[in-house]
Amino acid sequence: MIPPFAYVRARSIDEAVALLARPESRPAAGATDLIGCLRDEVFTAKAVVSLGGIEAMTGIAETADGGLRIGALTSLTTIVKHALVAGRYPALAQAAASVASPQLRNQGTLGGNLCQRPRCWFFRGGYDCARKAGDTCYAMQGDNRYHCVFGGSTCLIVHPSDTATALTALDAIVSIAGPKGTRSVPIQQFFVLPEKDMTHENVLAPGELVTTISLPAPRAGLVSVYRKARARASWDFALAACAAAITIEQGKVTAARIVLGAAAPIPWRVEGAERMLIGRRLDEPTRARVAAAALNGATPLEHNAYKVAMLRGVVSEALGSIG
Amino acid sequence: MICNDVALEGVELEAALAEALNTPTGTADIPAWTDTKVVGQRLPKIDAYERVSGTAVYPSDITLPGMLHAAVLRCPHGHARVKKLDASRAAKMPGVRAVLTPESPGADIPWYPGEKGYVSRLLDTHCRFAGDEIAAVAADTPYQAFDAVRAIVVEYEVLPNVVGLDAALAPNAPAVLDGPTNRAGDPRAQGRGDVAAGFAAAEVTVEGTYSTGTQLHVPIELHGAVVRWDGPKLVAWDSLQGVFPAQNTYARALALPLSNVRVIGHYMGGGFGSKLDTGKYGVIAALLAKQAARPVRLFMTREDTMRAIGNRPAVRMTVKLGAKKDGTLTAIDFSCTGSGGAYSAGGTGGVNWLPLDLYRCPNVNTVSTNVYIHAGPERPFRGPGHPQGAWALEQAMDTLAAKLGMDPVALRLKNVPDISQGRQDQARYTSTGLATCLTEGAKTFGWTEARARVPQAGPVRRGVGVAAGMWRGGGGSPPATIIVRLVADGTASVNMGASDIGNGTKTWAAMIVAEELGVPVDRIGIEHADTATTQYTGASGGSKTVPTEAPAIRAAAIEVKRQLLALAAADLKVDATALSIADGAVFVTADPSKRIVIRQFRPLAQRGVLVGVGVRGPDTHGMAVNPWGVHFAEVEVDTRTGLVRIQRYLAAQDSGKVMNRLTYDNQVIGAITMGQGLALTEDRIMDAAHTGRVLNANMHDYKVPTALDAVVAPVIVAVDPKDTTCNIAATKGLGEPATIPAAAAIANAVAHALGVRVVDAPISPQRVLDALAAPRTPAKGVRS
Repeated sequence: MIPPFAYVRARSIDEAVALLARPESRPAAGATDLIGCLRDEVFTAKAVVSLGGIEAMTGIAETADGGLRIGALTSLTTIVKHALVAGRYPALAQAAASVASPQLRNQGTLGGNLCQRPRCWFFRGGYDCARKAGDTCYAMQGDNRYHCVFGGSTCLIVHPSDTATALTALDAIVSIAGPKGTRSVPIQQFFVLPEKDMTHENVLAPGELVTTISLPAPRAGLVSVYRKARARASWDFALAACAAAITIEQGKVTAARIVLGAAAPIPWRVEGAERMLIGRRLDEPTRARVAAAALNGATPLEHNAYKVAMLRGVVSEALGSIG
Repeated sequence: MICNDVALEGVELEAALAEALNTPTGTADIPAWTDTKVVGQRLPKIDAYERVSGTAVYPSDITLPGMLHAAVLRCPHGHARVKKLDASRAAKMPGVRAVLTPESPGADIPWYPGEKGYVSRLLDTHCRFAGDEIAAVAADTPYQAFDAVRAIVVEYEVLPNVVGLDAALAPNAPAVLDGPTNRAGDPRAQGRGDVAAGFAAAEVTVEGTYSTGTQLHVPIELHGAVVRWDGPKLVAWDSLQGVFPAQNTYARALALPLSNVRVIGHYMGGGFGSKLDTGKYGVIAALLAKQAARPVRLFMTREDTMRAIGNRPAVRMTVKLGAKKDGTLTAIDFSCTGSGGAYSAGGTGGVNWLPLDLYRCPNVNTVSTNVYIHAGPERPFRGPGHPQGAWALEQAMDTLAAKLGMDPVALRLKNVPDISQGRQDQARYTSTGLATCLTEGAKTFGWTEARARVPQAGPVRRGVGVAAGMWRGGGGSPPATIIVRLVADGTASVNMGASDIGNGTKTWAAMIVAEELGVPVDRIGIEHADTATTQYTGASGGSKTVPTEAPAIRAAAIEVKRQLLALAAADLKVDATALSIADGAVFVTADPSKRIVIRQFRPLAQRGVLVGVGVRGPDTHGMAVNPWGVHFAEVEVDTRTGLVRIQRYLAAQDSGKVMNRLTYDNQVIGAITMGQGLALTEDRIMDAAHTGRVLNANMHDYKVPTALDAVVAPVIVAVDPKDTTCNIAATKGLGEPATIPAAAAIANAVAHALGVRVVDAPISPQRVLDALAAPRTPAKGVRS
């Protein structure tokens, strides 16, 4: 059961921004994560601001330079079914298709998927943990089998979003509206590590919301893929995931993005491994070297050493499906 | 509260008593079925339309005028004492009509029987697991009730908790039940022969350690009831597997005569053992309803059911097997440790039965140790203890086969028993389908070819595995009393106390009457599961519903038939033995032109009804009735990610005569899926480091297999040994035996695929990768 709250429908982005600037106002796009968070008392809401009626935040459009502009309210199902997404950015289509269940994909939005809160069972389980401004991270002593192997510090969450991993590999730009106007940030700068901000997963300030996600035009030779390992074939977050976006020209890699999911508190780009690909053919020895290098510097916790092998496995699968 | 062992012994006790009291058999003169025309067909459930269209009224659908909604306050700590509780603000909140705290009159009802009397109360200030009930509120709306519960101010003295088996047995561990140790009584030894001599005679031995996780029932319909007082009488619509055990619990808890308690459970949305009886929720609802003088609806939240309504306990087991070179078992040494949580000693109930009874072996020793921990109490769960025992024994058998250089099917065939060595009287089984399940199953599955297939190169490995099982229950027993009525228009009805727990009880009941009376299945009405209008029977659990009720239904139908034929014989002026019944008519067998259409039969119309009463007769003296099963699985394991996919599956079951092949198959598919969950994904995880809470008390983190995970179109081989000794319906139970070997078969297939054995359930990707990363010496357990 959820404690009482006011429910307001915003008619425009400006109105939403004004409503969200009030204390304990929460945006509702698909509300699939919002309801879980309210029910689990992850946070409280005095007001829920529905974004559903804001036309300017919907739809998928091709931009003049050949990229895509995706409204934050676009449902994951719409993204999965969109021919341009599937054709030019298969990693995003595959990531969106792997989210949760058909019902949740029908209801859940791309903006919401990027901004969902972590699944850490201490964070969700009524613990007054560091991410909720409490004084400790319970995963440090407790069962941390699903926690991070990179980027942990005073909080050990992994970022739960499949699409965030794919969009990071695809160099997406996140457009944000807020009380001080609008701004756009490269997706890599959108997510923040706990060492920078313990209680937020991204740079959104109070009153700010994601309005659009833009993808640059795909370069000739760009191939992208998303691979996700999970305990169940449906309705499950990643145990390990990898998005790869590789540009191959005349048989050789000229650009590469490899991003790990369920590995760190943010989508975790492995630039060292990416660099190893440049100028090479994507053959089996290279793939194996790169998959191994992708996990360099991983610091597994007491219960999640398996994640290192599993992440290596999904990197190898992802690269294998390209090469 | 029912504990596994008590329930099982209870069944046997009931049978003994029925015999001693000379209960009318009603079935003594009736020969057992051999061939049947209607029974055994594939018929959709008679209430399928109601179920899928949403018109079936489940207990959670009941709405009564003036009905209140209740919510329960539960302890958030693994172990705590309530120092102060202030519900005064909650009581004054809008819509609140009743508040129940440990101080309220009537809230001190003794609960959870221990070794020396009850160990807790309905609402208790000493909370022994995170989820223990402390207080409850009834209000006009569910939201008001939840808000009021949240407004109750509790000051806890948080005490140290212990949720792990080792931690609970460590010196100076926090005491769960205030005893000198958290061990629940002395370890229980059971066995036969001389195990040391058996191992001395063995030419090959294997030894290993295995464990399972704690599995939760997760039925679709939550646990709960709608209750209403009608003067001194209590009426409860409760989501149950058995209305009569619940009637007893309501009556005991509330000090009411049985005849003043009516429990109704027409539809129910799944139980798997967790709804054999009502729970605290029902009695709390009744007390709130009494206080408010209004009907009360109390259904638990999903999260609370996952904390507090029961589980299949995690068990740690060691198995040592000794055998001759030809595979003949000479000794089995088995020990197991498990916990039934804070209030039940039954952590290992049923776990040792397969080591005791599945294979012929003269020397067996089993030791079972039960431990109390700060966790929700166990409850019977689909073949209590047996899937865990199979997990260990059947993996050990595979290891033994490998060491002997024998085929795993051949090794099992070498050791098929014909007497129940686990029973004191060494009774002979009325039928043992184990050998047929092994051979027919292996043939249909293509076992030999699949086992011999050369492993493919690459990261994805394929393997096949087999496991056998049997269920200690499944024979059914008295009491059951059935009334069948034939009415003037030629239609019939069955009146039975049993609940239909989703497996088609109503449908096969109608099929049995159709078989005997020639009335079409869609002309047969069912009244059932109502303590006020149907006759006493035990809960639909223990895979006893078919073998208990089917013989009584058949006897009642035959009695109606006898009366009908007597009337018809007088009318047609022939001897009743010269008559047959088919398609709504009675006719002279030798001259079918001489016939009476039943719905136009005046003597029947004049009487209005023919009534037949059937009683479940006693079991065949000195014989054991058990169902058997053997499962075959083919899996693919991705060595990069540790993910296991089941590619192919076969279940061969001996449950005697099939009542309805469609619901039979569905029952087996559900059982396989549940075994798959135990094997691969399901595991209650507790916060041992801090609070003792269940960390994954939700449908996402607790991973029941989804439709995309479940085995696609498993092959089901129904082995029918034509057992005319077990009962007059020639049938045995199915629901539990069909889940018992499933997890072990999958584990054996994974071991075959990997060449390394994962001995702990669930075989999560984590454990597969850890096993592959471990040095290739058997550090923990054995491998083939």
